[in-house]
This record gives sequence, C-alpha cells and structure tokens, in this order.
Amino acid sequence: MAAKDSPLKQFEIDPISNIELGGYNISFTNSSFAMLITVLVITLFLTLTVNTRSIIPSRMQLISELMYNFIAQLLSDTVGDNGKRYFPFVFSLFMFVLIGNMVGMIPYQFTFTSHIIVTFALAAVVFIGVTILGFINHGIKFFTFFYIPGVPFYMHPLLIPIEVISYLSRPISLSVRLFANMLAGHTLLKVFAGFVVSMPFFTGVFPLAFIVALTGLEILIAFLQAYVFAILTCLYINDAYHLH
Amino acid sequence: MPQLNPEFFVSQLFWLAVFFTFLFVFLWRVSLPRIAIVLEKRQIKIDENLSSAKELQEQAMEIEKKINDQINKAKLETDEKIKETINALQENVSSQLSSLDKDLEKKVSDAEKEILKSKDDQMKNINNEIVNITKLTVGKITDIALSDNELNKVIETHKGNFN
Repeated sequence: MAAKDSPLKQFEIDPISNIELGGYNISFTNSSFAMLITVLVITLFLTLTVNTRSIIPSRMQLISELMYNFIAQLLSDTVGDNGKRYFPFVFSLFMFVLIGNMVGMIPYQFTFTSHIIVTFALAAVVFIGVTILGFINHGIKFFTFFYIPGVPFYMHPLLIPIEVISYLSRPISLSVRLFANMLAGHTLLKVFAGFVVSMPFFTGVFPLAFIVALTGLEILIAFLQAYVFAILTCLYINDAYHLH
Repeated sequence: MPQLNPEFFVSQLFWLAVFFTFLFVFLWRVSLPRIAIVLEKRQIKIDENLSSAKELQEQAMEIEKKINDQINKAKLETDEKIKETINALQENVSSQLSSLDKDLEKKVSDAEKEILKSKDDQMKNINNEIVNITKLTVGKITDIALSDNELNKVIETHKGNFN
C-alpha cells in the first residue's frame, strides 16, 4: 500500500463491490468502473451521434465519422486492403485506450491504462492474434520473418536471436510504453499538485500554472499513446501478411 | 507500487475482458455498420450529384456549342446578305450612272448637233444677208446687177475672212 499522500496512491485499486467466482477475486473495482464509464462513453457517443444517419452530418456525427475515417485510413495506409477485416478490432482498441486515457484526465477518476496488467493484456491479445494470423497466412514459413535477407550469412547466428527477442518483446514494449506514459504523467501531475498545497502563500500559483500546462500535454499524450498503440497494432498485422 | 500488486490482477483482467469484448462486439455489430452506411450513402449521393453535374455540364456545353454554331451561321448569313446588298446596290448605282452617262452623252451630242445646225443656219443667214447687202451696195454704187451665184462665189472665196 502506498502512503496516504504518495503520488502513487491514485493508482491504488479500491473494490466497489466484492465478487468472487470459482475462488477468484473478480471484485468490481474503481478500475472496472473507469472501464465501464469508458465503454459507456464510447458506445453512447457513437450510437447517439450517428442516430439520425443524416447525409449532412451534425458536428457530433462529424466527430464520429472523423474517428472512423482516421482509423480506416490508418489501416489502409499500413496494411492495405487486407486490413479492412481488422477494422472493428483496431477501432475498438484505439477508442478504448483513447477514452480510457481521457477519462483518466478527469480529476479523481481512475486511469486503468496506467496499470501494466491491463495494457499487457491488450498487447498480449494483439501479439497472440498477430502471431496466429502469421501462421494462418504463411504456415511454417512464418519463421522466415526472423531471417533478414541481404545480410552476410555469418551474421545470421547473431541476427536471428535478436529478431526473435525483438519479436517476443513486442507485447512488453507495447504495454510498457502506454503504462509508463500514463504512470509518469499522472504521477507528475500529482507531485506538482502537492506543491500547490505545500508551498507558502501565493507561490503555489506557479506549480498550479505548470499543472495547467502539463494537463494540456497529458491530453496530447493520451491521444498520442492511443494512436501509437493503434498504429503499432496495424504494423504488426501488416507483418503477419508481408514477411521480410 | 499498486500496479505490481497481484491482488486485483484477475479482477482487472476479468472486467477488461468483459468490457472490451462488449465494446468490440457492440462497435463491430452496431456502431461501425451505422457509420459505414452513412458514409456509403453520402458517397453514393456525392457520386450521383457529381455524375448529374457532369451530365448537366455536358448538356450546357452542347447548348453553348449550338448557340455558337447558330451565332456563326447567323453571322455568315448576315455577311452574305450584306455582300449581296452591297453588290446589288453597286450594280444599281453603276447601271444608273451608266444610263445617266448615256443620257448626258446623248443630250450633249444632241446639243452639239443643235448648235452645229443653228451655226450652219446662222451662217447661211449671214451669207444671204451678206449677199443681199453686197448686192444692194454694189447695185447702188455701180449699177451693176450681180447675180446671186456670182456673189456666192466671191463670198466663198473670202469665207476664210468671215470665219
């Protein structure tokens, strides 16, 4: 347990309702609540804004369409025509991470993407899915993915293990990137928020101003990390289709 | 660090699976097809409008071409008519001028003839008068009666002096 005033306290998980299933603790926690809010925001927004199905879109409908086109374009640019079938998955992933990050920016809200277990689970789904896809598309030839053509033969004993390690570390890098960014950003915000209270008289205004600027940066990072997560997923899908 | 506390790992994974699966299925089956339909409808509408605009543009170009053709045709016809009118007028003027010339020439020649005739007549009269005067004068001075023929002969010989 973190100390009462620790900047890490915001990441503590508090059960809202204790549930147990088959001996496992599956309590509904503040993390689960943040996920619920995230899913509700996404589903309600995408449903209500497109409800009228008007050809001339309203501003809100336009936002939904922009998101749709943004991911569709991303998939089409990185994977090509093969990417269309993975669009719902990549879109869900992008929206889940994006809105999860954004919900975390609301004061006193929990950021579930700052938990390595959550980001790792998402990255693992991508990694396992892409690996299975690679084997489905190429069979045993998928292993040639680790063989880099055009390199002197004596380099292969060195390069192939590096490639394998690099491939296996994909879920780790994918998940740690998101988790670390969220952790660092929110910790920094909390540290400076502590300064606002602890500094004497009006000098607390300075860290407060810094927090305001940092919040803007954090919102940018929230979007950027969701984008990075989505684009890397697209690139991994592309690798499953096109080996070296 | 709360992230490394495994107490709620299963709970987080469970709820993540539940919510993410729900989100994925909902977006896949409900939201995304709706957006796709809207975008498709809009694209169809845009394509339709574009094709009808293209068609109208072609029609407009065709009409413009027709108008231009008609203008050109009208211009050519007008030019032709102007030329014809100018030619007709020129012919008319030249024929009238030539007839005027002829009239004038005729009148001039008639006048000349008239003048010559009257000149001859006058000359004859003058001759007669000269003959008469000469006859009378010679008769009174010399009592010689000269015939008209003799006098005429004399006058004829001195005609150059009268003219």
